[in-house]
Amino acid sequence: MSTQLSSLDRRKFLRGVSGFALALPCFETFAKSAAAATTPKRLACFYQPDGVPMPRVDDPAFQEFSWFPHHPGRDFQLTNSLRPLEPLRDKMTVVGGMSHPAVRRVHGHSNADQFLTGADTGASGDYENSISLDQYYANAVGDETRVSSLVLSTDGGTGSPRGAQTLSFNQAGRPIPAENRPKRIFDRLFVSSGKDAERRLAISQSALDDLMGDANSLRKKLSGHDQDTLDEYLQSVRDTEIRVEKARRWLDIPMPRVDVSHLNLDVTPDDPRNYVQTMYELIYLAFRTDSTRVATWQIGRENGVGASDYLARAIGYNLTHQLSHNTKKPDGWEQFSNYCNFLMEEYGRFLQRLQDTPEPAGNGTMLDNTVTLFGSASSAFHLSRNYPIVLTGGSNLGFKHGQYLKFGTDEDNSSSSGFSTDAGWRSDVEEEERPLSDLYLTMLHRLGVDAESFGGSETTVAEV
Amino acid sequence: MNLEFQNKQRAHLFPVFLILVLLIHAFSTALAGPEVSSPSNHVGHGKQSILMAVDANANSKWCGHHEGQSVQWQLELPVAIAAKGYSLTSANDVPSRDPDHWVLEGSSEGKNWTKLDSRKNQPEWEKRHHTRHFAISSPAAWKYFRFTFQFDDPTHYQLSEIAFDGVSMKGAKIAVSPSLSDLRNEGKRLSKYLDPEALTVPDGPPTANLAAFQHDIKPLLEASCVKCHGPDKQKGKFRIDTLDPDMVNGEDGAWWVEVTDTISQGEMPPPDEEDVELADVDRAKVVDWISQELLVASQARRSEQGHTSFRRLTRYETSYALQDLLGLPYDFARDLPPETESEDGFQNSSEMLQMTSAQFETYREIAHTALTKATVRGEQPEPVRYVITGESAEANFQKSRLSSIEKLRKKTDADSQAKLAEQEKAAWTYDANAAHFVNLETGRGFPSRSGYGRNSFRPVEELPETPEVSNYVLALPGNTQQLMDFGDFLPGSGTLRLRVRAWQSSTDSPSNPDLRIHFGYQPSNNSKTSFRVGEWTITSTSDSPEFYEMDIHLGEISRNAFRGKYPLGKRPNPSEYLIFQNPSSSGIHIDYIEVTAPHYDQWPPESHQRVFAAGVDPESNPRKILSDFMRRAWRRPATEAELDKKLALFNAIRPSCDDAQQAMLEVLATVISSPNFLYIVQSPEPENFDLATRLAMFLWSSVPDEELLKLAEAGRLSDPDTLAEQVDRMLADERSERFSHHFVRQWLGLALLDYQEVEPNLREAMGQEPIELFAEMLRHDSNILDFLHSDYTMLNEKLAKHYGIKEVFGSEFRRVDLQPESRRGGILTQAGLLAMNADGEHSHPLKRGIWLLENILHDPPPPPPPAVPEIDLADPRILEMTLKERMADHRNDPACASCHEKIDPWGIAFENYDALGQWRSEDSVGVLFNGDTLQGMDGLKRYLLELRQDQFASAMTHKLTAYALGRPMSFGDRTSLEQITATTRREGDGLKTLIRNIILSELFNS
Repeated sequence: MSTQLSSLDRRKFLRGVSGFALALPCFETFAKSAAAATTPKRLACFYQPDGVPMPRVDDPAFQEFSWFPHHPGRDFQLTNSLRPLEPLRDKMTVVGGMSHPAVRRVHGHSNADQFLTGADTGASGDYENSISLDQYYANAVGDETRVSSLVLSTDGGTGSPRGAQTLSFNQAGRPIPAENRPKRIFDRLFVSSGKDAERRLAISQSALDDLMGDANSLRKKLSGHDQDTLDEYLQSVRDTEIRVEKARRWLDIPMPRVDVSHLNLDVTPDDPRNYVQTMYELIYLAFRTDSTRVATWQIGRENGVGASDYLARAIGYNLTHQLSHNTKKPDGWEQFSNYCNFLMEEYGRFLQRLQDTPEPAGNGTMLDNTVTLFGSASSAFHLSRNYPIVLTGGSNLGFKHGQYLKFGTDEDNSSSSGFSTDAGWRSDVEEEERPLSDLYLTMLHRLGVDAESFGGSETTVAEV
Repeated sequence: MNLEFQNKQRAHLFPVFLILVLLIHAFSTALAGPEVSSPSNHVGHGKQSILMAVDANANSKWCGHHEGQSVQWQLELPVAIAAKGYSLTSANDVPSRDPDHWVLEGSSEGKNWTKLDSRKNQPEWEKRHHTRHFAISSPAAWKYFRFTFQFDDPTHYQLSEIAFDGVSMKGAKIAVSPSLSDLRNEGKRLSKYLDPEALTVPDGPPTANLAAFQHDIKPLLEASCVKCHGPDKQKGKFRIDTLDPDMVNGEDGAWWVEVTDTISQGEMPPPDEEDVELADVDRAKVVDWISQELLVASQARRSEQGHTSFRRLTRYETSYALQDLLGLPYDFARDLPPETESEDGFQNSSEMLQMTSAQFETYREIAHTALTKATVRGEQPEPVRYVITGESAEANFQKSRLSSIEKLRKKTDADSQAKLAEQEKAAWTYDANAAHFVNLETGRGFPSRSGYGRNSFRPVEELPETPEVSNYVLALPGNTQQLMDFGDFLPGSGTLRLRVRAWQSSTDSPSNPDLRIHFGYQPSNNSKTSFRVGEWTITSTSDSPEFYEMDIHLGEISRNAFRGKYPLGKRPNPSEYLIFQNPSSSGIHIDYIEVTAPHYDQWPPESHQRVFAAGVDPESNPRKILSDFMRRAWRRPATEAELDKKLALFNAIRPSCDDAQQAMLEVLATVISSPNFLYIVQSPEPENFDLATRLAMFLWSSVPDEELLKLAEAGRLSDPDTLAEQVDRMLADERSERFSHHFVRQWLGLALLDYQEVEPNLREAMGQEPIELFAEMLRHDSNILDFLHSDYTMLNEKLAKHYGIKEVFGSEFRRVDLQPESRRGGILTQAGLLAMNADGEHSHPLKRGIWLLENILHDPPPPPPPAVPEIDLADPRILEMTLKERMADHRNDPACASCHEKIDPWGIAFENYDALGQWRSEDSVGVLFNGDTLQGMDGLKRYLLELRQDQFASAMTHKLTAYALGRPMSFGDRTSLEQITATTRREGDGLKTLIRNIILSELFNS
């Protein structure tokens, strides 16, 4: 009996934490701390489809074209694939030996969907996903900025189950359509949001007033205990009113003015290098004006079949996806690696721009307050293990860099190297790997989100 | 409660076998006048009674049904005798009924038994009336002898004679183990609730009977309890001498409940410690005093309880309420977070149902979405229509082949001629075991083709008159499927009406095949999805083909996001398809498929008219629309003030909306985001509106219908006769399926099964069985003890196969009578519940034990202490042990013992069922904390049916009432709960009776 009572007490306590009694002070504290800490903490995530070059150790291409650096630890040596990041080596950590456990035996082309969620999205049949890393963070900081998060992809929209064209999934696991047109992104960030938004917010405010009235007159009829229960509802209405009020306030605050004379906002992936540069520049501008603190960009959908497949034309190749299939042809590894080199060149340019811009509110550079993740849900051909991951920035958030961190039991990546057939992804999982969500949970904590778990992980990574 | 009853109860704190002995005085020669005190299968009747086994006459026999269980036969002699051997004589017929395995044991007091002889897999007796002799290797003098027989014959057993060397049967007593139905009758007879005197609370102000405590009870507790639970020791961190005996005014009522439960179940004082022994008569005194005091105290405290039923609707209630309000079958609440469960496992418990701002915003979105989906504008949209027949399928699927054949036909060279022959053959050759199209008359046909994005069917302008049945069919033999691609023409929302004419391909098929429909799409080769949208059981045959209809809600399912963005035939492929799957073993023929989307039965549709009744213009008469809708959504008429307020909102936002309909939908969205909709309000209205809501939430998980509202309006609903009538009506309504589904899932904790790695179709059937059983029992007002054991269950083909039961075909559940050899019956042996309490690979006795205690007996064990020593599998000593030995080893750790000795034996009794709930041979004998032995599942059922009926009945009352009221039960509810249980037990233990008694109770009506 005594233990039963104490377990009841524990539940009551937990209920208190998320309920009204403790929620109000929490809310106030949060508002204050957000105002006090004027330096924004930002998160940006990028996705490269179709994996990366993974020649075997005994392949002549290994030394120069393998994606992962040589020598784990601080003395890591970058290859052609990541070399453009060399100037930022102290600001970056290359991570190997991590993946999401649930889909290690699912074809890599089905797995972009779960890159930022860690959900078990399966290989066929019914489909479920869960909230993505960026949206988890956006739920915490989204209403501090005009736009709660930027969700971008080169192909646009949601794509289809196991063929996502967005990295971002909401609380209910539903895909958030990604924007792919620079003009639309620019308009949303820097051009007035229009009369309709104002009208909607005005109706919302009237409706909330009315609901507050319903709740207050009901409250008068209730006993003390029941009033406490209803107070959760009242508090929810109040919180929502504050959000609507905040959103309305943005309507009155003039849009930030930025100079985009150097950009062609009508650029498409047919002009791949310009397109990539423009997308990075828009993310940079959104961050610099504190229009948002969260961004994702899926640089390409898996398996070709879309506008993103033409990005390789930037360096004179034809179809991007084909590069991952042609690795056993003459110069195959080299060409694939050259494509990675191109992506890193532009990514490095973006990072350097953040590094070169002092944080508008003081406190280091923008890169010091921005953590960025770049990666893919496959390493070798169609193989959803040993994800290639580069983590950069955020030294003011506590990230330690300048290393190649290798997890798991496969020291020389031999179990994820050298394939050009589907025997690879179909094979049994023999090597242990660390759940990638451990890293995601760590990132959330460093960003100041008090999450107990994310994507099934409850442990964090001490090494970064 | 009377003393005699308590004596009986005490007497039953011994192994089951001894408790229900049916004593028959047998004499070796004279057979005159033995009396059978109650009927038992094993006693038998007349010429086949148990006495025939000791009548020294090989022409008579003891014969009966063993119900799949072992049969015990026991002999008590006037004095102890050492027998050197024994003999068994076969009966006159049916050799398979001879015993095949048995154990002989001896005992000096009938309690502790020593094994004397054991025989397994005995050969059949050489002939009829044949006596075989068996030696006892170490003879010693025993007063009691006991056989435990097992029979390979599926139903019967028989023996002509049992004799012991040198033993006279004169003056001996013979007993047999009773059947489960005997035990159920016997257990019922012992129920404390049958006593009409019980549970009466004396008139006058409630007062504690402290004099009786000081005089009679305290000395008994001091002698039997204080040694371990007093100033010197506090075993289990419990001390009895400081409990306040005044339960009316004191704070220790809940502790006294524990004390009386522990003492009456024989767990305390410990059965093996003689110096604290509590004589039966004293035990009865203590239990009677506590029970009476609790009754008085609980009654006195009804009004003080903190919990009320004021609560938010659950996620599923919100969804059903919107469905019933709007007349749309959509899952409106799917974006709401799952509910937290109460300690009882219920999702509708008031204390757990919270509201956060994120949830609130979701409710507002749901309100808008639901109203938008329910209402329409403008003219009825022109639907897209498809018709698929054998001919149109041929034109579509064979198109490229036939055109290539046409081309070859025009050429005359030998090479082309050869190719032509080859291609013609290939085009018209099909595998009869795979899906194919065939003209049943000529046998000519072609193989099934699919391949996403190709062979799309195109819409037709008009639907034809229903054609005559055609011989050109799609044939789906067992376990095949056919994909039909509809291109990218289907509308984004609305109802797709699918009509299919189908029949069984074979006239003598033993089962009705299922036709399962999946919706899916595949934009590129690694991105595909499909999901089941419905299924039919095809009952028609070729003599009378029938149409089967199904609605698919295109706005509610996952759709191909590339529709309208990419051209058909390119990648990503924007087309969508239906898969016609036959998962059964027998075949199906389909000659006609028709698709219409969007389909409307009327325009504007019913859902629109539920919001905007025909002839009421929202612009000129917004008040009428509001008052009608609010009455249904808030389950009571809105007051004038409330109407005025909503009208004011309408007028305020009207100018910024395009038209009155849009403004009204905004206002109605606040009606269903309002706490008056989202919360169950218990308001002391003069009418019975709150009662109507409570009833509807309990039995329909939704809002009341018009009939309930009208009865409430008339103030007639609270009339007991009306209430009882309404209960019958509501349970007969199909909305009560929600009650069976949600109550059973929560009561039994069935969500655990969703996470087990079991083949999905089997898992689904496993999860459905307990719900189907409950619904069946509800329909027939069956005895709630059927949950503990029944001779029927609800099965479909999948589950029947899993149980090894033949002749059950098709995916629909139906009632199946169980034969004893199936070793099933009741919920304890249902595969889903056994699998759910396992880890996928191994059974899990601990989980099963805890589940039984928490969910079935409502006696939850305390949670594990913070520092639990793990079972160390690296230790070679432990690695060699069996599971049961490991548990015993763990139990011997003092830190674990006190909890595990109360849990493990219950779980061990389930050990004959593996991780998927299939029968296996395994040691499954558990010894309960109070010394009682559970001989596997059979023993567990015997024990529960005989000794724990009252506990189970009151657990059922408790669980159902907590669910009905949507709040945890507390001390102040105890008396009312006891009265509901007592009334139900007296009225025959019917499940529906119990539900009606809950609804008629003071608790439900206050």
